[in-house]
Amino acid sequence: MAIRTRAKSRTESGQAALRTPVQQFLRLPSTAFFLALIVLMAAFCFIGPLFSASPTDTSFDVLKAPDATNLAGTDSLGRDLLSRMMVGGQISLFVGLAVGFICMTLAVIIGGLAGFYGGVVDTLLTKVAEFFQVIPPIILALVSIAMLGASLPIIITILSITMWPQVARIVRAECMRVRELGFVESSRAAGFRPLRILWSDVLPNAFAPVLVATTMTVGRAILLESGLAFLGLGDANTPSWGALLNGAQAYMQTAWWLTLFPGVAIFVIVLAANMLGDRLNDSLNPALSRVK
Amino acid sequence: MYLLTHYARLLGSSLLLVFVVILVMFMLLELAPGDPVQALVGSMPVTEAFREQMTIAYGLDRPLGERFLAYLGNILTGNLGESFANKQPVIDLIMGRLGNTLLITIPALVLSSVGGILLGALAARTRSRVKDGTISFLAVAGFSIPSFWLALLLIMLFSVQLGWLPSQGMNSFTSNGISVPHLILPVVSLALAELAFKARIMRSSMIEVLGQDYIDTARSKGLGSMEILRRHGLLNAMLPMVSVIGYSLGYTLAGSVLVEKVFGWPGMGLLLYDSIQRSENLVVMGILLIMTIVIVIVNILTDVVYGLVDPRIRARFTIQRGAR
Repeated sequence: MAIRTRAKSRTESGQAALRTPVQQFLRLPSTAFFLALIVLMAAFCFIGPLFSASPTDTSFDVLKAPDATNLAGTDSLGRDLLSRMMVGGQISLFVGLAVGFICMTLAVIIGGLAGFYGGVVDTLLTKVAEFFQVIPPIILALVSIAMLGASLPIIITILSITMWPQVARIVRAECMRVRELGFVESSRAAGFRPLRILWSDVLPNAFAPVLVATTMTVGRAILLESGLAFLGLGDANTPSWGALLNGAQAYMQTAWWLTLFPGVAIFVIVLAANMLGDRLNDSLNPALSRVK
Repeated sequence: MYLLTHYARLLGSSLLLVFVVILVMFMLLELAPGDPVQALVGSMPVTEAFREQMTIAYGLDRPLGERFLAYLGNILTGNLGESFANKQPVIDLIMGRLGNTLLITIPALVLSSVGGILLGALAARTRSRVKDGTISFLAVAGFSIPSFWLALLLIMLFSVQLGWLPSQGMNSFTSNGISVPHLILPVVSLALAELAFKARIMRSSMIEVLGQDYIDTARSKGLGSMEILRRHGLLNAMLPMVSVIGYSLGYTLAGSVLVEKVFGWPGMGLLLYDSIQRSENLVVMGILLIMTIVIVIVNILTDVVYGLVDPRIRARFTIQRGAR
């Protein structure tokens, strides 16, 4: 038994050098934990409503503390908070994922072209990214959404517009690094067209940092959306977690559960996304893992 | 000479940035749904005479290019319009609130910078994996907490449960002036995320500095680890922090909108919130413009400070100047 374990561990350490960043990432113990946490939250929001009370049914049990029937208590109209959190979480998660996806797509296209070709696209991207570094996305998003009207498509569009340049900057830097490497040189020597080199040689090698940036963007988008909703700039049809907190402030003295639980939900999902990004970053640059 | 062109370029790009923000504001105004006069002043009913006055002032009946020039002209002459709800010029309204906002943002900026630098520097010293993991987890947790939720939790603990600190407003009804107890909770909720973020950057910067040769020299002289950190590490590792602190003002200002709403703090952020509720877009845009100008000025100052504290940049300037 002991011999078998030792033999196994030897092969493992032998393979360590060959492991891809993604494999290393999956081996970190906390990774599994935070991945599971995200899956669990998604299940809570999207599968949970099948098994719980209606989020809109009112009752006479107003502002009831958590008990066996209402696990997270009820709000001022006697609605079940847990069910409302499930439905609200769908909005928060959807906004986060949609913004993350749009940012990643824009970043890969524009950042890729800028990093690979340089020139006008590069200058423009640098300027735009600088602009959004100086003016925080949330201020611009706040003002824009206030003026254009808060609806889900507008929120997603505005958040994407303000957040993609940070991801694009990372894609650009990666592409600039990769385009100088030997295998790109040989592709060029082999006579492949630049766009094909960009697509099949450069971008796949820039993929990992893009994944880190996108994961973090999802977290930040959820955080920004909750802030906007807290200010009343959320989708009016379904109150997301931030909007639930907005409604909770009036009952802080009596109903602590209204403030506690939706906030925990935001915190947990944003923390999980950020920790995943962080761990992913560690496994990409093992040498730098202490330096961040 | 070199210094002069450097600052001329900096000033140019700052002005360009303000111009782009004005352009964005104009575009938003054009895209805003509904009647253009109502989009400017909010959902209140307006008189026919006022409507005509606004149409002329903002060139609403003229083509797009002229409309933009009229808009730009208004802003450049410091005329941000009139707040319909407050019966006051928008610029006066905002300037009257700016001080209150700075009253919480500047202490928050100081707290997050000093705290972040100290904690980051101390965190860089540890070689234990467990401690290291705990510290980086706490840092990530720090900037994953929504500031407004933290503010609500602090109120529930320190105001509702313990009754130690006030939860609303700037001072009690009986007194005027600055009240320190009222400042504590808003400043802490505003500072935490930035503090965690800065501690993280400071830590990595410090780890890099501690790997340098001159640190080994100091160690071989027999200095203790605290002494090395203080005398050789801290100042060098703080260099990248200058620009981080500069940028963080914008984020702290942005955060103040949420925190002011929670604490009913009568600053620019609360004004922004109230104006959004009344859809008074002139005020909303005015606040965006003033925040942009504050951020741009701080950015220029950051650049100047950076040049002053980094001997390498200072040396480059003198060499360049000497060569000409």
